[in-house]
This record gives sequence, structure tokens and C-alpha cells, in this order.
Amino acid sequence: MPGFTHLHTVSGFSARYGASHPERLAGRAIERGMDALALTDRDTLAGTVRFAKACAKAGVRPLFGAELAVAAPEPEPEADRTDTSVRRDRCRTPVRGGAFVDESAPRVTFLARDGARGWADLCRLVSAAHTAEGIPLLSWPDNHADGLTVLLGPDSDVGRALAAGRPDRAARLLAPWREVYGDALRLEAVWHGREGTGPGSLRLASRTVGFAAEQGVRPVLSNAVRYADPGQGEVADVLDAARRLVPIDATGELDSGEAWLKDAGAMRHAAERIVESAGFRRDTAHRLLEQTRATAAECLVDPEDDLGMGAVHFPEPHLVGAGRRTAQRTLASRAAAGMVRHGYDRRRDHREYWERMHHELDIIAHHGFASYFLTVAQVVDDVRHLGIRVAARGSGAGSLVNHLLGIAHADPVEHGLLMERFLSKERVVLPDIDIDVESARRLEVYRAIIGRFGTERVAMVAMPETYRVRHAIRDVGAALSMDPAEIDRVAKSFPHIRARDARAALEELPELKALAGEQERYGRLWGLVEGLDALPRGVAMHPCGVLLSDASLLSRTPVMPTSGEGFPMAQFDKDDVEDLGLLKLDVLGVRMQSAMAHAVAEVKRATGAEVDLDAVPEGDPATYRMIRSAETLGCFQIESPGQRDLVGRLQPSTFHDLVVDISLFRPGPVAADMVRPFIEARHGRAPVRYPHEDLAEPLAGTYGVVVFHEQIIDIVAIMTGCGRGEADRVRRGLSDPESQGRIKVWFAQHATANGYDAETIQRTWEIVEAFGSYGFCKAHAVAFAVPTYQSAWLKAHHPAAFYAGLLTHDPGMYPKRLLLADARRRGVPILPLDVNKSGVAHRIELVSESRSRKPATWGLRLALSDVHGISEAEAERIAEGQPYASLLDFWERARPSRPLAGRLAQVGALDAFGANRRDLQLHLTELHRGARGGRGDQLPLSGGRRTASAGLPDLTSAEKLSAELGVLSMDASRNLMDDHRTFLRELGVVSAKRLREARHGETVLVAGAKAATQTPPVRSGRRVIFSTLDDGSGLVDLAFFDDSHDACAHTVFHSWLLLVRGVVQRRGPRSLSVVGSAAWNLADLLEVRRDEGLEGVAARLTAAGGSREGDDPEGGPARRRLAGSDGRPAPAGSAAQYPMEQRKIRMSTGYEMHPWADLRPAGEGPAVGRKLWHQSPGSAG
Amino acid sequence: MTILCVRFQPPPTYEAALPQLLGLLEEFTPVVEALPPDGALADLRGAERYFGRDAVELASVIRVRALALYGVDCVIGAGPGPMLARMALRDARPGLTRAVPGGEERDFLAGKPVAALPGVGTATARTLCEYGLDTLGRVAAAPLSTLQRLVGARTGREVHEKAQGVDRGRVVPNGVSRSLAADRPFDRDELDPDRHRRALLSAAGELGARLRAVDKVCRTLTLTVRYADRSTTTRSRTLKEPTAHSAALTRTAHEMYEALGLQRARVRTVALRAEGLTSAEQASHQLTFDPVDEKVRRIEEVADRARAKFGPRAVMPGSLAA
Repeated sequence: MPGFTHLHTVSGFSARYGASHPERLAGRAIERGMDALALTDRDTLAGTVRFAKACAKAGVRPLFGAELAVAAPEPEPEADRTDTSVRRDRCRTPVRGGAFVDESAPRVTFLARDGARGWADLCRLVSAAHTAEGIPLLSWPDNHADGLTVLLGPDSDVGRALAAGRPDRAARLLAPWREVYGDALRLEAVWHGREGTGPGSLRLASRTVGFAAEQGVRPVLSNAVRYADPGQGEVADVLDAARRLVPIDATGELDSGEAWLKDAGAMRHAAERIVESAGFRRDTAHRLLEQTRATAAECLVDPEDDLGMGAVHFPEPHLVGAGRRTAQRTLASRAAAGMVRHGYDRRRDHREYWERMHHELDIIAHHGFASYFLTVAQVVDDVRHLGIRVAARGSGAGSLVNHLLGIAHADPVEHGLLMERFLSKERVVLPDIDIDVESARRLEVYRAIIGRFGTERVAMVAMPETYRVRHAIRDVGAALSMDPAEIDRVAKSFPHIRARDARAALEELPELKALAGEQERYGRLWGLVEGLDALPRGVAMHPCGVLLSDASLLSRTPVMPTSGEGFPMAQFDKDDVEDLGLLKLDVLGVRMQSAMAHAVAEVKRATGAEVDLDAVPEGDPATYRMIRSAETLGCFQIESPGQRDLVGRLQPSTFHDLVVDISLFRPGPVAADMVRPFIEARHGRAPVRYPHEDLAEPLAGTYGVVVFHEQIIDIVAIMTGCGRGEADRVRRGLSDPESQGRIKVWFAQHATANGYDAETIQRTWEIVEAFGSYGFCKAHAVAFAVPTYQSAWLKAHHPAAFYAGLLTHDPGMYPKRLLLADARRRGVPILPLDVNKSGVAHRIELVSESRSRKPATWGLRLALSDVHGISEAEAERIAEGQPYASLLDFWERARPSRPLAGRLAQVGALDAFGANRRDLQLHLTELHRGARGGRGDQLPLSGGRRTASAGLPDLTSAEKLSAELGVLSMDASRNLMDDHRTFLRELGVVSAKRLREARHGETVLVAGAKAATQTPPVRSGRRVIFSTLDDGSGLVDLAFFDDSHDACAHTVFHSWLLLVRGVVQRRGPRSLSVVGSAAWNLADLLEVRRDEGLEGVAARLTAAGGSREGDDPEGGPARRRLAGSDGRPAPAGSAAQYPMEQRKIRMSTGYEMHPWADLRPAGEGPAVGRKLWHQSPGSAG
Repeated sequence: MTILCVRFQPPPTYEAALPQLLGLLEEFTPVVEALPPDGALADLRGAERYFGRDAVELASVIRVRALALYGVDCVIGAGPGPMLARMALRDARPGLTRAVPGGEERDFLAGKPVAALPGVGTATARTLCEYGLDTLGRVAAAPLSTLQRLVGARTGREVHEKAQGVDRGRVVPNGVSRSLAADRPFDRDELDPDRHRRALLSAAGELGARLRAVDKVCRTLTLTVRYADRSTTTRSRTLKEPTAHSAALTRTAHEMYEALGLQRARVRTVALRAEGLTSAEQASHQLTFDPVDEKVRRIEEVADRARAKFGPRAVMPGSLAA
């Protein structure tokens, strides 16, 4: 029996409509004996590439198409409307809940027919549909194409007229379609076993077939597939509900459950029923099926030739400065010019540079990538012209040509970076150059790129947002009419994991234990949540990808405008783009670059001194002293708790040390135990060993420990003599266990041929095998280390400006209030918000002049932009009008909104006009009332600029702090923990400062505001919760191992203020952490202390937390070792009983990961703002 | 210490009992002011001497009687004035009468939040709290002129006086002016306007029947729609003439509902409340030449009788019968 081809199939890429992934559809098609399958997603072609690849793998011929909403040819005469109810016409804005989602436009399926022409037409139609306002809608003038076949199904205007029992009207509506598409028009019959005459009913299907015969249009049969397998109707219902933003209406029309990928037999049965009820003989069914098959046979589009998969398209050379010369010639001459500019041609080793340059140019010419390099150079030049900081990152930094063109900053020859890691003759993938720009000006950069190359060559890359567990719970819960507050609670208690792991997580995660107990209450919820796993639910602009192509881009890629800025955005994501051979440039917005730019600008504004960050002296002792003290909060790449710990142990003193430090702090090296031997060797506690003296050269810089990819390439190249390009290919093969075996044999053969003995080969192979895939690309690390050093230099030399930049652009992993606390600790005076002095952004201000020996002290003035709810325009107006003579003057010229003025008064920004903040509030209210009522502006002034007292109680000190947290999200005047000192002293809590003197192994109590929580992958493959507390005197780093998770995990994830009992771990002069064994919510305890006294606290401590002192007998100390950076193997005893052993995730790099590690944890991130503070009913605002 | 504020705790939709409960209070004093829906103020100035017991003791007597006669518990606060009695009620529990002795008013009030003061609504309370005047003690201490600048001349003076413990109110005897409520919860998020309208029809029918049963008419109808996120929308409309006619109530309810224009709102409950109840004998009714109106009212009368005889589901609108 011949197979059946489904011409109308949607995948999950039809956001909130299709329920199966394209891979699943392709797989099911071949299982059910089909040779071809169409993908016709709604309003998008985003699934095309994945579908094409899946089809190629499964052995099914793919057909490409799309289902679009289509506008009517012309406005219809009023009398002809069929389904116009009286209530619809009255268009009243709902007082609550919003209006219905409008899905009234008829939908039609388009299939690409004639190869590349059909595909181009399809792209054009999809792009045109997305130019409509609001929802995508194809206007009639755009609705024409030569290479497309059109299926008019039950949802088309013709189908709807038939459903309404109006064949006359259907005939009239069919005419314009016929005029445009002529012979390529088909009528689509669908039978889903529904009653009545609506879509999916037998009667509509038979009417369609009958109508087709009458009109002489060919009918086809389809099943309007929404999901691959029977039984997924419920998921489709949830998707419908999520799309329409309504709950599932159990009494209304649900999905029929029939819209699955039916096999040929079932479809033939459907065809027979349809033709029979249309009044034909049963055997005419084969003609319907034959028409369908013929239509499918016409739709020939080849993924390789017609979609352009595998081919490369660069912008035309004349756009990137090549003029009449070839791109390669231009590139060569620009590179040579770069040699002269950098002065490399005058160096003693200039021969090495020239050789390297010519070698690289050869490789580039071999691939014909010259335009690519010129394009990137052009973009970088344009960005520089805008005065935006730009830096290259990634393996591109290893190319000298990149450096000569001004793309990469660091000299690759000096740092020993290899071109082959980036591009070689043996490597056939597109090279990848990433550039970092200031995040605050990222969109400016995009506009510049679009301006340079034109919208027909540039598009942003899309990023599908897929369902993960939290969103799935929210959407399913809403569809099932669950209580919104409860949905919120359930969703928030999950970490950010995959939706399909929902039930497994409930069983296994300790912090979900409470929820797991009531699991049954939610019934169907969990199954449906898992059913939504990884389905796209929307599309966003990729944060950095920009597509650059030649002028044919729009005929190869469907483009839609991005929601915010209206940039053109391709519907393909970053992987698709690579498969399609489109050139993607990653332009990352890096906040640190913005912060540094702001700091430099501030220094210039305040002191007039010009700081050139790209020319700061290398090896600055003050900078390295600061780094070695591990007080690196805010410095690029080295501010995380783990990095501060590593920096403290490594004690970097040169740029190379920073490069190594950054490379070592990766999951791979940490897991592969590279950290400890390295540190031992570095501090001279262990001898440096090489597998063979030939390898001393590449390994000398890292004390014989393999850290970088480049070293592996060198080792393989030296031992086998195969050349670096080939060696890089070998290195890439190492991560695949299958090819690893082959490589081992090959390696042994060639090394033996080169005269190495078996033992050396064996030892070297072990190293290569173990670390080859773990290491870090040195070019990456060098590119990272440049801003790291620059930011550290700023912190050491211009601390106030550095913090001003950080607070303005907030680059770090820590909340702003922590940076403020750090600034306070480093002796930078924090100057309060003041409408007469604060600027829009954070600024620096001279606090005391430099006197003999003592340098000038610069303070940090808080910014207006940090005030909650201030608009950009308001902040600018306030800053422009400075100075203000009185409250009235401020009110009239700065024109703040009433709530904003109130907030400014609360945090003391108006203190200059009168000391009592509540009195100020009252005056503001009256000014507001006066302005509104149009009355005179009488204001009781007590002489001059200060305002008269009204006798209201002023804010207490605690209320002021609460206002600061509420309005600025920062405790600006003092640390919030200061107010709890008495209680903490009662408990005997050790401050972070005093903790530095604590002994190893001592049990202590620590407390503070939670700053950051992570569960990174660690060596033992178990889950460790790392958290950082800030108590005003410093930071306390905490680690919770899984034996304490039952008791602590929930508290740690869901509290802002924590009290923790733990044991001090010390592994170096500057390396210190606390291993937690019990945790309490400090905010609760404070409340208990206030309401019930110490007795109440005691009662609370006996109830919760419990004594967990005795439950780690001999295994205890061993397990308490910091598994991550310490690196000794985890104790086998406890690991063996570990229930999740078989669920561990094996990374491609070979090490095992705890299934729940490396996730954004549950709860709501670190504490910010008002949540940290008890709000008394009397507090302002 | 002669005013009692009593809050009965009758089971829901037991409004028929309230007149009897008020009658119980009237056995002690003629000066009883009903506080709908379930409370009352009673002035015991004469009663104390007559019964030879003080107000707190009388409160126990009242509670015992209410429990014995009607099986309804109550909470009682006592104070020198109605305002203080009401404030005292907030601290009382069944079985524990809270009394504010004369002379201790200021101390009693000082720690109370401003929102607890009768006559201070949410808006006034929010304003006062914004300026740090969150307890009555602070309000009492603030200058009068500042208070008046904050909340207006009259409210400022009143709040200031009340916060000082000056209670100028009196107990004003009134008849029972109450309200009736009927709500229709849905067991899931309901979006279908037809089902909303049907629920309103049924609620309006119930209200009408209950009003007619106690010979009352209502002047105002209030519609409350409660949504899945527990927020509500309230609309109220004064009827053209006070009535207990189900059809008129339904029409008004539907008009209010249409005005909301709900589309995607997830409705969990619709509730109707008939307010401004007066005696049916005092109600006027506009006669028309249209015989239909007359007929409908007569049918309603008959239906009421049928329901009285055969149960509430004996006669009902067709759209509800399904």
C-alpha cells in the first residue's frame, strides 16, 4: 500500500499551537510508512532547519510550507456577514481581564513548490505577513506567488462559507484565489470526527469535496496535524488555552484528539467516508488520495540546493572597503598596514610576525573567507568611530590577522595563541569572531551595522523561548483554572529546570519535599507540564547574534520585526543560521565595558585627567596587591565566591597568572583536578613534571599542568608531527568517546614513528585523554583577562569612579547594595542622594582635598536614576535644573510627579529644604493640591529656603533605612545588619571580619543578608549549594552539602536574611568558607525576638533546625571538604548509597554532573530592596 | 461604660433571625440601633439602674439569652460612648466582654491603629499612615492644624477629637434596615457570558423571593464580581422604584453586568446584594397600561405560593431548569 503524505502539519514552532517537535514528527512519519512529510507552521518557518535535518536523518522527504492568516481581498459588503452577533458589535473595553485574543482572520496553507523560487516566495510571504500591525496577517496585495501551492482548508474564508452552508458565497470567495493562483489552488478536506458542520466535521469535508468537483478545483485530503501521537489532545487544549489566554472550557469545544499524524490506512478510511458522504462511490476515494499524492509530488524543494544549507554568503566586497580589488588583496594590504602601525615590522623578531601573517592569509584564502574578516573589521571600525568601547573575545583572538585589523586587542604571538584553534585548512566550519561592546550602547551598534549594510543584508538572530518547568506550571495551571496565588507558589518553589523533570524533581529535591507531599492535589497538572517540555512559547531577539549576508538574504530567510526596537529579525535561531551558511557575528553587550566607560568619563569630568584603559601600564603592583587580597568584588570574571577563593590561593602577580586563573575556573578543570596540582607546583610545594622534555616548552608556563586547548594542540603536533591544523581536529575528536578510541591508536602509531617510547606515549595519552576536552581556549582567556585587569586597575586606582560605573551599569552577580557595602569597606565615602547635587548617573565628588602625603578623597554620590519609578525624562529634568533654592523652586522647575517627590523626600534628597522629611511630604502634597486646584502657591516658609515645621513626627532611623531600601534598593546610609547587632550579639554570631581569625574546624554561627546563591557543577558530581552572606563587615561564603539539604535547602533558597550554623573551612591564608549544617530565616527570628523575647527564639530553635550535630560520624569531615575546588575524590561510601547515581548527566566533556546542579535555584534570587526589611505599618510609602 | 456594641454571629443567610435578636436587646433597653448586617448598639443607661447590674454583667445575660433562645453566639464590647464601644468590640471574644472604663479612653486608644477608628476609611487611614500618624496616640499628639491640612478641616477635627477619646455620638434607635445577599460561585474559572447571566438570573430570583417572604422591597442593587485572583469589581444601581419584583431585579442586574463588558476575565463568583430595604407596604408602584406587567406580577405571586408548598425548585425560569 503506498504511503500517505500529510500536507498540513504543524510542529511546536507554531507557538502555543503545535504540540510535537519536528524531530518527533519526522520520526513518526517514517515509522508509519510515509515517504514525505510537510511542515506548515503557523506564521513561521523557524522549524524548517531542524525539520530538514530530522528528515534527512530519518529518510523522509521534507516539504516546506507555512500557514498564514490572510486578509480578505476587499472589504465585504455589510449584508453578507454571516456570524455577526449583536453582542460582538458593541465594543466595550472590559473592566477586567482584557479582551479576547483575535483569531478571526481566515488561515490558509502555503506549500513551496518550485525549488529555490518556491522557498523565496515562501520567505517573502511570511516576511510580508509580519509587517502587519499586531498579529501577523498577509494583506491581499502581497498575496501572490508563482512557486507556491495553496490549500484552502476549513479555516479559510472559502471553508467557512461552506461550513455556514453557503456554497454560493464560497464560489464568490474562491474567484479571487483562482485569479491569483490558478492551477496551484487546492481545496483541503479534513475529517476529525466532529459533529455538525464546523471544521473537522464529516459534513464540511464532504461539502468541500463536492464543491471542489463542482468548481473544477482539485481537492486534497489532510489531517491538519497538530501532534505526532494519539492522546495528545489534552496538551493541545492547554496550548489553545495558553494562546487565547483563557482557561480550558470543559463544556465548550475541546480538541478532537484526532489531529495526529495518522498512517496511510487511517487516512484512506477517512477518504472513503468523505467521498461516500459526498455522494460519490466508495472507490472514488483513491482519486482523492491520488490528488493528494500528486500535489505532494509537485512540491520539490531540496534542503541543500534550494534553502542554501551548507553554502556561505558574505556581504559583497565593495561594501567592506575592497573597491575594485579582490577581498583577499585588500585584506593582505590592510594586514600589512597593521604590521607597520603596531611597529612589528621594526622588531627584532619581525620575521616571525611576517611569516605568521602570510601563513594565516594563506589559510583565509584557502577558504575564501577574506570578505568575512573585512566585514568584521568594518563593523569594529564603525563601532570605534561611535566612541564605543569594543573588544574581541573568543578564539578569534588567536589570529594575528584579526589583531592587525584592529579586531583583537592582545598580541597573539606574544601570548602564544594559535591560529589553528580558530581556523585551519582542515577545519570546514565557519569561523566565529565575537565582539564585546558597551551594553548600554548595544542597540546603537546594531543600528550602525544596519546602517552600513542595509536592511536587506542584516537581520538579528532569533531565540525561541521554550517551556521550562516554571512557565509550564503557570500556563497549565491557568488553563486548569487553578488559583493564581497557588500557581505562583508552586511555580516559584521549583528551580529553573526542564519541564519534563518536574515529577522527578518533586521526588528528589529536598527543598520540594513539602510540595511533593501535596502533589496528588494537582491531579493532571504534572503530566501536562511534562507534555509542554521544550515547546517554543514565543520568540525573542537573540542577545547578541547579528546576521550579515549579501543582498539575497531576504529570499533565503523569513524576517520579522523585533517587538521592542523593530529591528529586522530572522526567524532562525543561532544553530539554524550556522546550518544555513549565514554569517553570524556575535555582538555582545557587556555591562562591564559600559561600567568602565562610565568610570573613565567620570574621572575626566571631575578631575580633567584622561585615562586610557587600553594603555594602562602592565604589571601594576597596586592592582595585583588588590587582586591577591581577594577583595575583587566587581572585577570582571573574578568576583564570584569561587573565583575569590581561587584567586586567594593562586595569588596572581602577572597578566599570565590572570589568564591561567580564568582558565582554571571552569567546570572542566575544576572537575579534572587541575587546580590543586597547579597551585602546589606554583607555590613550590610540588616539583614540576613533564611527560617528556620535548613537551617542556608548551607546558612550562603552567608548571607542567595542561590548562589550555593550545597546549593539547602543541602536544599532539609535537608528538605525532602532524601539524597544528590536524592536531586541532584531533583535539575536537577527543570529546566523542567513539572517535577517542581511533585517535588513541593513531596517536600511538605516529608517536612511535617519531621515536617516543611506549611509556611516554602512554603517560602523554593519559593527559591528552583526560584533559584534552576539558581545557579552556587560551585565546578566550586572554580576551577575558584584558577587561579583568582593566577593571581591577580601576578599582585599585580610581575606586570611587569604579563604583560609580558599577552602580550605574550594574554588571555583576551581586545586588547593588553589596557593591555599596564593599565601597564603604574600602573607604569610599557614600554621599546621600541630594536633588541639588546628584546626577542622572552615579558621580564622584571631591570630599577632601589632597594634603601633604594624603591623597585626595573622592566620594560616591548616589544617582537619581536609582530612585524607584523615576523616568529618564524626570531624572534629566531634575539634573538640568540644579541648583534649586527652595522646595517651591524645585517643585516648579523640576516638575517631579507627586509620588516621585514623596520618595525623594523619604530618602532625604530634599533635606536641604527642611529637616523633617514628613513635614516635607505634607508641603509637597499641598503644592500638588495647589497646582491641581489652580489656587495660589502659598507655602508656609520660615524665612528663605527652608520650609516651616508642621509638627509631624520625623522618620525614625529604622524608618529611614526602610525607605532607602524601598526607594533605592540599597541601604545607603548604613548597613542594614547594623540594626540587628544586639540580637546577633545575644546569639553570639561571628562577624565576617572576626571570622578571618577563626580556627579551621571551629563551629560558628554566622548571619547576614543573602547576596548570591548557586548550585554549580562540582567534582564529586553531587549537588552543593553555595551562598554568600553580607553582614556589613564583609562577606561570608557558605557551602551546603547534600547531607544538610533536607534541613536547609528550602530555607536557604527562600529567605533573604539568614542565620547559619556551620564549620569553618580554611585552605589558605585568604581562603575561607563555612560549611553550613543548619539554617534559619533570620527575619522570622527577629520578629520572634521582638514579639516573644528570647524564650520564643529558644522555642523556635528547638522546633526547627533541630540538632544535626551528631549525624555525621566518621564520614563527616571528609564530606565537609569543599568538593569543588579541593578536588580529592568524594568518599565512596556516601556516594554509593546516593539515590541519583544513575540519573547523573554525562557531559560531552566526559565528567559527570549532578542532574540538579548548575541550575538557577528556586526562590527569587538575592535579596534586594524592600523585601529585606520589615515594613511597619507606620513606615512611609 | 453604658453603651454596648453587640455583634451576633448567626449562621449565613439567617437574616430572618436578626429582628428577633434585636427584640431580645429591646427587652433591656428601648434605645437600640441596628448595625446591619449583624450588629447592634444598645444604650443601657436606664437599664443598669433598673436591673441593678452593670453593663458588663448585663452583657453576659444578653449572651446567655441569645444562645438559649436562638442558638446564636455574640461578641460584646462596652464603653462610655458608641465609638468606644465599637472599638472595644474589636478586642472582645465570645465569652469575654471588653469594657473601656470612663477616664481611661486615651490610654485605651493610644496603641490602636488609626484604621480601627469608626469613621476613618481606608483613604484617610492611608494618608495618616503615610505621615507617620499610624496610631491614635500619635494622632492625638499631632497639632490640630496639621491634621486638618492632611485630611481636611472637618475630618481632621473629628479624627483629632475621637483620638483624644471624646465620643460625641449617641445611640439612635432605628428600625431594621438591612440588606440581603445572594451569591453564585462557579466551581471553575467561568468566562461564558451566558452562564454569568444565568447565575445572575438565579441570584436575582432568590433575592426577590426572599424579599417578598419578609414583605420588604429594596431600593438599591449591588453587583459584585469576584475573579480568580481574588480581586473584585463592584457596581451598584438605584432602582427606579423600590421593588421586590424578580424581573425588575434581574433586568437591573443584567444591565450592570453588560456594562462591565467582560471578555477574558476569569469569574469565580457573582453576587447580588439588595440594599436599602423598606417595608413593602410603604413602597409605591407605577402602574402602566401594559397588561403584561400586571400579569407577570400575578404569576410571580402564584409561583411564590407554589414554591412555598412544593419547595424552592417547583417553579423556576426555563433557562435555569436545564
